[in-house]
Amino acid sequence: MLAVRDLTIEYTSGGYRVRPISDLSIDVASGELVLLLGASGCGKTTLLSALATLLTPTAGTIHVGDVEVTGLRGPALLEYRRKTVGVVFQAFNLIPSLNARENIEVALRAAGVRRQAARARALELLDHVGLTDRIDHRPADLSGGQQQRVAIARALAHDPPLVLADEPTAHLDYIQVDGVLRLLRELARPGRVVVVATHDDRLLPLADRVVELSARAVADARPPAQVDLAPGQVLFRQGDPGDLVYVVESGEIELVRDLAAGGEELVHVAAPGGYFGELAPMFGLRRSATARARTPAVVTGYSLRDFRARRST
Amino acid sequence: MWLVAARDLQFRRRRFLIAIAATGLVFGIALLLDGASKNINDETTRIVGLFHADRFVVARRATGPFTTTVVIPDGPGTVAGHGAGRADPFLVSRATVRAGKLVDVNLVGYRPGGLGTPPVDEGRAVRGPGEVVVDSSLDAGVGDRLRVGELDLRVVGTSSSIRFNFGTPSLFVALADAQRIVFGGQRLVLAYAARGPVTFDGSTLRSVSNAQAEDDLHRTTKSGSDTVSFLNVLLWIVAAGIVASIVYLNALERTRDFAVLKATGSSNRSIVGGLALQATFITVLAAVLAVGIAFALKPGFPFPVTMSSSSVLKTVVVAIAVGLLASLVGVRRAVTTDPALAIGGA
Repeated sequence: MLAVRDLTIEYTSGGYRVRPISDLSIDVASGELVLLLGASGCGKTTLLSALATLLTPTAGTIHVGDVEVTGLRGPALLEYRRKTVGVVFQAFNLIPSLNARENIEVALRAAGVRRQAARARALELLDHVGLTDRIDHRPADLSGGQQQRVAIARALAHDPPLVLADEPTAHLDYIQVDGVLRLLRELARPGRVVVVATHDDRLLPLADRVVELSARAVADARPPAQVDLAPGQVLFRQGDPGDLVYVVESGEIELVRDLAAGGEELVHVAAPGGYFGELAPMFGLRRSATARARTPAVVTGYSLRDFRARRST
Repeated sequence: MWLVAARDLQFRRRRFLIAIAATGLVFGIALLLDGASKNINDETTRIVGLFHADRFVVARRATGPFTTTVVIPDGPGTVAGHGAGRADPFLVSRATVRAGKLVDVNLVGYRPGGLGTPPVDEGRAVRGPGEVVVDSSLDAGVGDRLRVGELDLRVVGTSSSIRFNFGTPSLFVALADAQRIVFGGQRLVLAYAARGPVTFDGSTLRSVSNAQAEDDLHRTTKSGSDTVSFLNVLLWIVAAGIVASIVYLNALERTRDFAVLKATGSSNRSIVGGLALQATFITVLAAVLAVGIAFALKPGFPFPVTMSSSSVLKTVVVAIAVGLLASLVGVRRAVTTDPALAIGGA
């Protein structure tokens, strides 16, 4: 039902080219709840933005049913945002001047639903999320959990086949989390896919499928490995997942970063005894620079555990 | 989207009410100035029309019947009517009278019963020397005595339509009295109001049409009138600035709302429509308030003000234009808001 193929997303940040998503492929069947798991900065929100058509991928395709999402423009794009995808935003993002019912009605009226019908549907959804006694309350008069349930009701306004939730538990206490999680689980039913981006592993039991966007801890069991590099040979590229810390045995390794305007910026030159590449495995991030041999070089790749053990001795 | 715009107006009502009050005051002053400007133009037409002439005769070197200082002898046959034609001499000058306080006035001397007899609201017209019809704005009523120069005149009538020269009140006296005050009793005049066939010596005198007489009188008030119009334009700009700043501030605060609306499928057009609606709402309410303010301030306004239904309608129409123009700054902000802002952290 949801098919992501070879998806790459690049954008510019602080003058550098950043690629949080690289060659990602996912297939999700109808009725599944998918968890996008990973640390901050690993690309969860970026992927959600692409699924919501708020961000255009650099390469690859996204299909929701028969619709090729990445090619949508103009009225077709608006129609997709209105009826095919429903988004539960991280900070709820309810419109503060509208009450709970009106926040849902607005999404329906934008799609041309008549006022009476929009009102009836909004009331039905508020009943579904257990807020019939809060229909006339503005967001400021609702608790975080209640706001999140209104946001979920809004996302369901058009009964969309794809529901996206960005960090749905981020602003909730543990009592509020319980109700919201149960609601999210109920949403995944035949004919619909629910994609939840989170770094909260309490959500793991909910998921039918987990997509780990960080590359952390995979290589802890790998033994140290020595790599011989010829001048100009690339050890790893900016944006690659990173699982090893490298120590330079001989020669020189230059670390360069792609600039948004084209070209490269030299970040650091690692000489014998020096090390590099520790941040990616430590924090589950992608490589923030490209490592390339300046001269004939030999490096040894250590797992994070082995690297720490080596440093302590 | 009307729902979002309307609810936002309610939600931030204090701010919008302050904007409406400030804009309404500016619109009200603009309406008063517009009325003053209109009155300046109207009084020129009114004073020329009061003579019921189809043309005027003045000295060849004179600029016009109401501004000239070049005199003509007031003798039989200087300007003579034939058949149905008639020509009546008059003079226009300035004087100072004490009517409650010291007031500068236009002094008009005319032939009682002839061309140039003013319409009277109360009392009657001047029948001969020793009598005066005064502007109703002066602190003098029928039966009062008024000293003009060396003459002590009795007020026999009042009129509300004899102001000219930027709203200066006028006194209409018998020509003989005016000649005593201005020319020390010499039988001189400054112009003749003529209707129908008349003859005069073309080598020393010339004919001036009503339109030329109005233009000549307009010239004296032009700089004042232009200043009023200029201030009026500045006030509209100030009003636009007030509305624009409110709408822009609102758009800045609602950036995330716009992003959410776009992310959930609202079109730019509907968001822009909401902002334009808000700006128009502010300015139309301000225009309605302005009419009330203008009518309240009108009695105390230093210049006479002419306010008609057309000037009120014009204020509302200009207010809508100002509102739409002012909303453009906010519109730009709304249109350029990236819907991706909706997603991500708080």
